[in-house]
Amino acid sequence: MGLSLPTAPSGEASFLTTRLDFVLNWARRGSLWPMPFGTACCAIEMMATAASKYDLARFGMERMSFSPRQADLLICAGRVAYKMAPVLRRIWDQMPQPKWSISMGACASSGGVFDVYSMVQGIDTIIPVDVYIPGCPPRPEGLIYGILMLQEKIKGESLTNPTLREEDPERTGRPNLPDGVIDEVAVPYGNSTQQNRVSGLVQTTALARPSDRQP
Amino acid sequence: MGEQEFQDALDDLEAGAAAAADDSALGEAAAASSHPSVAALVERFGAAILQHRVLSGDEHVVWIPAARVLEILRWLQGDPAQRYDYLADLTAVDWGGGRPLEVVYQLWSIPHRRALRVKATVALNDLEIDSVCSIWNTANWLERETWDMFGIRFRGHPDHRRILMPDSYAEGFPLRKDFPLRGRFTRAEQTRRALATSLEDHYSAEELKIRDDVEEHGRAAGEGAQGMAG
Repeated sequence: MGLSLPTAPSGEASFLTTRLDFVLNWARRGSLWPMPFGTACCAIEMMATAASKYDLARFGMERMSFSPRQADLLICAGRVAYKMAPVLRRIWDQMPQPKWSISMGACASSGGVFDVYSMVQGIDTIIPVDVYIPGCPPRPEGLIYGILMLQEKIKGESLTNPTLREEDPERTGRPNLPDGVIDEVAVPYGNSTQQNRVSGLVQTTALARPSDRQP
Repeated sequence: MGEQEFQDALDDLEAGAAAAADDSALGEAAAASSHPSVAALVERFGAAILQHRVLSGDEHVVWIPAARVLEILRWLQGDPAQRYDYLADLTAVDWGGGRPLEVVYQLWSIPHRRALRVKATVALNDLEIDSVCSIWNTANWLERETWDMFGIRFRGHPDHRRILMPDSYAEGFPLRKDFPLRGRFTRAEQTRRALATSLEDHYSAEELKIRDDVEEHGRAAGEGAQGMAG
């Protein structure tokens, strides 16, 4: 059998808990049901990963779940516009515990090249993220590596850690990070530092037009 | 791009109004007779055809007054010798520097296989123009997009809402030259506002409903064409 239980450490309670953790984690990581949240080109690579050549089913992901209620791994593949943010957050809130999330690709992880008015600068501002996969887009091997890393992470989880599955109902539908942190992680970089928030590239008198602002 | 060149480019942008004097970028002046529709327009509307230019050899552009857009475009669509029955695109251009915005109508005549671009300028302090939804249905979404991105109002539009940005978007109109690339609010504020959006606030239950096509088709198939009509 592939399943071999670890030797018992000392102490009664920890003996039982450790074994239960091991079996639970083994079952959980071996049967992750991904909820594919594909919004852009990364989703194409995700589809390739699930197809026969790379065959995601080898890692227990036989079934892509198109309902958040029957999923425990959210794979956000692609850029997320602010208009899509409440949708992503609602899907995450709808997923039952235990749940994990993978941010696939540069755009989902950081906004990528889309450092613009309409784009979320990393989905970790919206939902908690377990594994970030770099790449534009990452190849299927990249996604599989990320999934294996997540499985390693699940291996180390413990039922005795109350913070792992903690969810505050008050935070439902709210940003995942405090305001200051969101601003900090979204600081401009690269050639986009030529821009500033107040005026854009050019200061024009027309900026003060009241008609620019909607009531 | 060197520092100096970048600064020069900035200065050019800044001097948008002055740069307007050099309008060679708008194309070459051409005789109205070089395009049958332009010739017909000049004959019928005379002085209302403000300018006629040719770009890239065969792209004919005419400028018309914003106040007469509806009348002239309706004629272009309806006249048997023109029949511009396909509105390929409707958008706007912001040249920056306080210059007026241009509304662009890209027309195509399927029967005559002829293209024509019609432009009308609207001043920044009076961004309003007649809707052409009554002529081409496709203008509905195109005009909503132009409103969303440039803030041009379309008089008489049947469904005047934003189409790309959320209805509650309060940062302005993103494709204007004076709109900062990252928007006007901080990222935290943008995130907070985005997550506070409730779809139910801006879309009717009817719009949000996922149609149960399977069921409807099933019933239609069972009851035949009668069921489909019902």
